[in-house]
Amino acid sequence: MIFCAIMEPAVQVENLVKRFGTFTALDGVTFAVERGEVFGILGPNGAGKTTTLEIIESLQKPTEGRVSVLGLDLQSKAAEVKARIGVQLQASAYYDYLNLTEILALLGSFYPNKAAPATLLEQVGLSDKAVNRVAELSGGQKQRFAVAASLVNNPELVVLDEPTTGLDPQARRNLWSLIKEVNQRGVTVVLTTHAMDEAELLCSRLAIMDQGKLLAVDTPRNLINKLEASYAVKLTMDRPMTMAQLEALNGRVEVLQSGEQNDPAAEDQESNIAENTYLLRLANSPSALKSMLDEIAKTGLGLENLQITPVTLEDVFLELTGTELRD
Amino acid sequence: MVALTLANIKMMARNRQAIFWALFFPLMLVVVFGLFEVNGVGSADVVVIDQSEGSNSELLLERFNEIEFLELESDEIGFSEAWDKVADGDLGYLIVIPASFDDPAISSKVNLVYSTRNPDRNQLVDGAVRNLVSEIQSNSGPVVPSELLMADVIEVPEVDYFDNVLLGLLALGIMMNSIISIAVRISTFRNQSILKRLLVTPLPIWKFFAAEITAHVLLALVQAGIILALGVFVFGGHVHGNILWVFAITALGSVVFLNIGFILSAWAKSPAAASGMGNAVAMPMMFLGGAFFSTAALPWVLPEIAQALPLTPMVAALREVAIDSEPIWETWPYLAAMGAWVVVTAVGAIKVFKFG
Repeated sequence: MIFCAIMEPAVQVENLVKRFGTFTALDGVTFAVERGEVFGILGPNGAGKTTTLEIIESLQKPTEGRVSVLGLDLQSKAAEVKARIGVQLQASAYYDYLNLTEILALLGSFYPNKAAPATLLEQVGLSDKAVNRVAELSGGQKQRFAVAASLVNNPELVVLDEPTTGLDPQARRNLWSLIKEVNQRGVTVVLTTHAMDEAELLCSRLAIMDQGKLLAVDTPRNLINKLEASYAVKLTMDRPMTMAQLEALNGRVEVLQSGEQNDPAAEDQESNIAENTYLLRLANSPSALKSMLDEIAKTGLGLENLQITPVTLEDVFLELTGTELRD
Repeated sequence: MVALTLANIKMMARNRQAIFWALFFPLMLVVVFGLFEVNGVGSADVVVIDQSEGSNSELLLERFNEIEFLELESDEIGFSEAWDKVADGDLGYLIVIPASFDDPAISSKVNLVYSTRNPDRNQLVDGAVRNLVSEIQSNSGPVVPSELLMADVIEVPEVDYFDNVLLGLLALGIMMNSIISIAVRISTFRNQSILKRLLVTPLPIWKFFAAEITAHVLLALVQAGIILALGVFVFGGHVHGNILWVFAITALGSVVFLNIGFILSAWAKSPAAASGMGNAVAMPMMFLGGAFFSTAALPWVLPEIAQALPLTPMVAALREVAIDSEPIWETWPYLAAMGAWVVVTAVGAIKVFKFG
């Protein structure tokens, strides 16, 4: 019996449906999170990520479907599940007039198994802020404290809802390291994000959601490998190409307009696109690349720049939903 | 700075609930003060026992009725019962018109009975009754004013208006703090998702409420101690009865008002709105609960409404134990009324309260 319980997934979600009046927030979502993994739920705002997590956290009841957490049926064993999981809400504040140590001690007092506040603060690098209040922390420190608060009961599973939203790049990387450390201690992590890089770097497996539906579940690498197109090609020509010339390139063509801004959140990309620059997606075959270069040569236009990069989750998302990831 | 000021105005304008309650409060105060005759002398409740039932005594009764501040009670009660009521403070004045009042041959005095509770009003009533009796009896012949009225003054422990007000202020302080503090606190917790954060822990919901109520009741007891200490030691007020009963009634009253605060917090969309709503609920009780003035002189059905408010039995029970030195069990009708309020407000709070 104990053996069976150990083998149970950390989270098992089956045919989950959640309706708010006539609006369907979740439409038949099914997935399992294995013990010890970092499982990401990726999707734009309104995809149903937070609703899924709130059902797992017993904050909402599903309209239909079944959820078990750590081998326990959520409907009948909610209190037991709450005692064994840690939760960081998307927007959660803490008492204004208690310091960090006092807050952790208070939250810990609600659980049968509690961690020492000093240990938790040390784990998240906030030992020097032990007697400070939350209002005195930076954004990154607040998020690290939120992770510490989710660990007050030495949980077997932590659920983090968009843990890095609103953080600067440095703070995001710090938090990724912290989440990896938590996971390396044997804690299963379920997190939501709408950041592709975060999902790709942190998660051992990903569920991609949009408009209440689960579109795919796999490792980031498998999701990328399943795409027909395996490379993104960026061309910069000396003069504009016609639509007929672009179509003849035999790729899935996306034209980046001259001077158009890239995703401002992606700090490592160029802030501006040069004039007459075009983005193509190509299948992973030498012939496709050769064919494209032949067509360019036929146009008589000069090729000023050519960049070939592997496709990313962004491309997977585009392929699955037909849209860019919406903020 | 201009941009920030404009943005603040815009944000305030969009918080419609807070604006409504902010306006509601001063308007309500105007109404309440309009209802009280704050410039008048107040009224005196009087029972007249007419043993004569002659034309002079009838005329005297008519003249009593013409005096605005004398409120003649229509209940027919006996002398000793009326005396006891005066002694207990349930009745202001007892006037006994003797059987020989209409007989000029027999010298008889009208008997006026009152307690030492309200010396200023006593002077006024004594003078008015003496003048009327003198006026009527002088129709039958010459009179000696000092021979017309016999005043029986029942000595009660020294109680002045401040003692009454002190207990009213105590009840008021507990009510305001309990309602507004909990409404604003819970509304803030909800807005900051602190309530939601607590919901994901295994903490049973009843423990959350119990902890809030316990903390606030303890605070109310400290608050009561400070108010009484200030009133007694600084301003010379008196607490004649058992102070423990005062604290027990304070604790019970605090629970009623905390429950009301929980209900308001469920409706308030922001802490500012919760504060306004708390004031709007507390202020009518401040004036109608008998904390400062007797509510008997209010027009229309307001005296009956005043009796139904939760502050009224609290103020009355506090005065009975603190001023009249009654044991707490003698105040059971007031305690029962407060107990009923505890039940009703707790059911209401459970029904409407929401965490998210």
